[in-house]
Amino acid sequence: MIRAHKFMTTVLLCAAVAFGQSREAVHTHRNQARTPSTDQAIVLTGGKLLTITHGTIDHGVIVMEGGKIAAVGKAGEVKVPANAKVIDVTGMTVYPGLIDSETHLGLTEIEAEKSTNDLVELSDEIMPQMHVTDAFHAESALIPVTRYNGILNAVVAPATEDTLPGQDAFIQLAGTDATEMLIGRDVAMPLNFDGTQRRNETWATAKYPMTRMGMAAQLRQAFIDAQEYGQRLDDYNKKKAAGDAKAMAPKRDLKLEALLPYLRGQKPVVIGAVEPSDIETAVGLAKEFNLKFILNHLTHCQPILDYVASLKVPVIVGPIYEFPKDEERYDSVYRLPAELQKRGVKIAFASYDAHQSRNLPYAAGYAVAYGLPYDEALKAITINAAEIWGVADKLGSLDVGKTANVVVSNGDPLDVKTDVKHIFVAGQEIPLKDRQTELRDEYSK
Amino acid sequence: MNCRPATLKSLAACVLSLFLVSTTMAQTSGTPAASKDILIKNAVLLTVTHGKIANGSLYVKNGKIAAFGENVSGPPGVPVIDAGGKYLTPGIVDPHSHMALRDDINEATSPVVPNMRMIDAFDYTDKAIYHALAGGVTSALLPHGSADMIGGQAVVIKTKYGLGRDEMLFPNAPQSIKFASGENPKRVFGTKGQLPSTRMGNFAVQRQALVDAQNYMQEWNAYNDKVKKGDKDAVPPKRDLKLEALADVLQRKMLVQIHCYRADELLNEMAMAKEFNYNLRAFHHALEAYKVADQIAANHVGIATFADWWGYKYEAWDAIPWNAVMCIRKGVTVAIKSDSNDYIRRLNQEAAKTIRYGGATEEEALRMITLNAAWIIGVDDRVGSIDVGKDADLVIWDGYPLSSYGVPEKVYIDGELFFDRTLPGYGTTHYGNTAEAAPVIPVVKEGE
Repeated sequence: MIRAHKFMTTVLLCAAVAFGQSREAVHTHRNQARTPSTDQAIVLTGGKLLTITHGTIDHGVIVMEGGKIAAVGKAGEVKVPANAKVIDVTGMTVYPGLIDSETHLGLTEIEAEKSTNDLVELSDEIMPQMHVTDAFHAESALIPVTRYNGILNAVVAPATEDTLPGQDAFIQLAGTDATEMLIGRDVAMPLNFDGTQRRNETWATAKYPMTRMGMAAQLRQAFIDAQEYGQRLDDYNKKKAAGDAKAMAPKRDLKLEALLPYLRGQKPVVIGAVEPSDIETAVGLAKEFNLKFILNHLTHCQPILDYVASLKVPVIVGPIYEFPKDEERYDSVYRLPAELQKRGVKIAFASYDAHQSRNLPYAAGYAVAYGLPYDEALKAITINAAEIWGVADKLGSLDVGKTANVVVSNGDPLDVKTDVKHIFVAGQEIPLKDRQTELRDEYSK
Repeated sequence: MNCRPATLKSLAACVLSLFLVSTTMAQTSGTPAASKDILIKNAVLLTVTHGKIANGSLYVKNGKIAAFGENVSGPPGVPVIDAGGKYLTPGIVDPHSHMALRDDINEATSPVVPNMRMIDAFDYTDKAIYHALAGGVTSALLPHGSADMIGGQAVVIKTKYGLGRDEMLFPNAPQSIKFASGENPKRVFGTKGQLPSTRMGNFAVQRQALVDAQNYMQEWNAYNDKVKKGDKDAVPPKRDLKLEALADVLQRKMLVQIHCYRADELLNEMAMAKEFNYNLRAFHHALEAYKVADQIAANHVGIATFADWWGYKYEAWDAIPWNAVMCIRKGVTVAIKSDSNDYIRRLNQEAAKTIRYGGATEEEALRMITLNAAWIIGVDDRVGSIDVGKDADLVIWDGYPLSSYGVPEKVYIDGELFFDRTLPGYGTTHYGNTAEAAPVIPVVKEGE
C-alpha cells in the first residue's frame, strides 16, 4: 500500500479519508463464475493480433481450444476447427491478458472500512508465515472491475508496513472459486526496506526496530535463525535416512520454515525500496544469504541505475506517479522505466493498488510518453511479468500452447480511450459485467 | 520564423534571434509588438467552443487571445512560435485542488468555520504548483477540506510558478466557499464525541449555522435602519467573522461548493440551498450524481467529479466511471477535478477516460477540464476556451492530449511562457532554470 499511503498524506481529509467506522454488511459481488465450460473451440478472426513474442499480425486468426491457444496466424494460414464458434473481431485489437505485478486484490474491499481489510499483519515485522492465499477473497467486487480492463492475471501482495509481511499469490482474475483463481500460492516473498517499516511514530510508542539499523539487524537475525533451523532439519533428515531411530525432529517453527525456500533460492524475494542507500543495504542482505531476488519500486534510484543494471535482475518499476524529490525535474520518475530499459533491465509494471488496478495499462502508456519504446511497455505488462513470475510457459503472449487468456478491444491496449470488448480466460468468454456496469445499466433505464 | 529547437544550444540561439528580430522590427515598423505578444502558428487548435481548427494560428496580444483561425497573422515583429503541427488547447482548469496549502487544509476544530481564508495558508513556493503547471494546469480553485460542514473561503490561483504570492492570484475571481456533507464531518466530530456524528447531525449543524446568519443579518438590518432614521444611539451588533461570511453566502455573494457523495444527500443539499436561497454552484466528488442527474440539471448545479475513483470509502462504493457522461447527457455541467497533487499532473488523461466510459466527444472531454471547470469556479468568461478576449492561458502538447501519451510541451499563462519541457533544468522560465538546479537523468532519444 505504498501508493495508498502516500496518496492519503497528499489528499488529506478531502475525498479520501475515512477511518475507523465499522459497517455490518458490505456489499460484495458474487459474479465470479465463468460461463459454462464447453469443448467448443472459439476462433477470433479479422483482428490485429499483438502477439508480443512474434510481432503484430494484421487480419489474424486465433484459435482457442481446450483452454489453450491452439493456433495463431494470418487468415488462410490457420486451420479453423469444424464446429468452432467464430467471432468476427475485424477492426479490433487482440492481445494476451495483461498481468499486474503487484496488487492488493482480494485483500480489501472498502479501504476506509477496516473490517473489509486483510492487508497486513502489524503485530510483528517478520511475518513470512502469512499467506495471502489464506485471506484472498475470491468474490471481491474489485476483481470483475479490474478484469473489465483486460487485466487477467495479477500478483497479490500484502501491504508494505512489515519488512517481511508474508508471501504473495499469483491469481487469475476469473474462476468459480478461490482454488481456481489462486494459480500460484506463495510464489514470492516481499522484503520491504523503504523506512516505512520502522516502528518510530512517536518517542512514546516507538519500539524495535525504530531505525533502518534495527530493520536490517532484525532481518539478519531472522535469516540466521532460519538457516540454523534448516541445518537442524537437514541433520535430522540425514540421520533418519541413515536409519537413526533416535533422531529427534526439530520442533516445527512455521515462521522459520517459511523462510527456507527463499534461503535455498527456490523462490524470489521481492526487494521493495525507494532510495539508493536502501537498495544497497537490502541487496547486501540478499547477497549475504544467497537469496534469489528481484527489485521493486526504485523511485529515487536515478543516481545508481548503472549499478541496478549490473545486478542483472528484473525490476518492477513504479509507481511512476510518485513525486520526484524536491530538487528534481518534474519527469524524473516518469522517465525511470525508459532509463532502466535502456540499460538492459527487464522491467514490469504494477498498479500497487486494488480499486485502481484497472489503470495499470495507462501507467505503461505514460512511460511511453516519457521515452519507453512502445513494445517494451507492452511487454512490461505481459511477457516480462510472466517471465518474472515463472509462468511464461503459460501466459504473457499469444503463442500456441499457452493458456488462452485473451483480450479483444477497440484499440491500443495502453490508451485510456480504449474499450475492452471481449475477454477470455482459459479459453472461456467472461461476460463484461461487474458491480459498476450493473449500476450503470440500472440507472440508464 | 521557424523556431523548432532540436537542442539546447539551438534553442538559446533561437530565443536570441527572436529577440533580435523583434527589436529590429520594432525599430523599423513603428508598431512594436508588446513583450508578451506572440503568434503561435502551425497548431491544431482544440478550441472547446469553436471545434477543431487544423493548421491554425493564434495571436496573443497583451496577454489575451486577440485572434485565432486558419489565416491569422500578427503584426510585423511579433515573435512567432511554430507549434510544428502539435495540438494547442486552453490551459487546464482544476476546480478542486488542495495543493500549496501545506497541511493546513482543515480547521477541524469546529464544524462551522467559514471565517477561514485559504489565502492565509497559501504557499506559493510549493513544488506541487510546478508539477501542476508541467501537467498543463493554468488555473485552480484551492478550497478548504471536507472535515467541516461549513468550511472556509477558497482561493483561485494561476499556476505562475516562480512568481510571488499576489502575482499568482487569479484577479477578481468570484469568492467560493466550501461546504461538506456525509462521512467526513460526522467522522471527524463524531470521534471526538461532538455534534455532528450522524447525517442528521450534519444537516442540523448546517441549518443552524445558516439560521444564525439570517438572525445576524436581521440584527444588522435593524441597526442600519436605525442609523438611516437618524438614531444616534443605535448600537451596532458585534461583528462576527463567521456570520459575516455566511451573510455573504445568504446574499449570494459567494459560490457554494459542496463536497457531497450520496444521491440522497445531493437532493438534501439542493433543498437546503433553496430553503436559504444561496448560490449552490457545484457538487464536488458527486459520485452518485448519475442517480439523480435530472434533478441536478434542473437546479443548474454543476458537478466536479473524479473520472474513475471508487470504493475508497463506503459513500464511494456506488461510484461508476460512467458518472460524468451520464450526467452530461442529462444536461449537468460536469468537470473532472483532481483533488490530488498527483492526478492534477495528468487531468488530460483523466478527461480522456470519459471518452471510453460513456462515449464523450473529444470536445466534451476537453470541456470537462477547461470551460466547465472554469464555470464552476466562476471564471468561464475569462478562461477555459480559445475565444477572442480570453486570457491567453494555453498549452502546446506533445502527443494527442486526450490519450495516455499527451504531455504538455509549452504552457503559457496570460500569454507568457511559464513551462517548456524542451528547456533544461526544471523546464520553467521563472524558477531556478539552470541545469545545475535540477539534476536530471539523460533524456532517452526516440528510437534509442
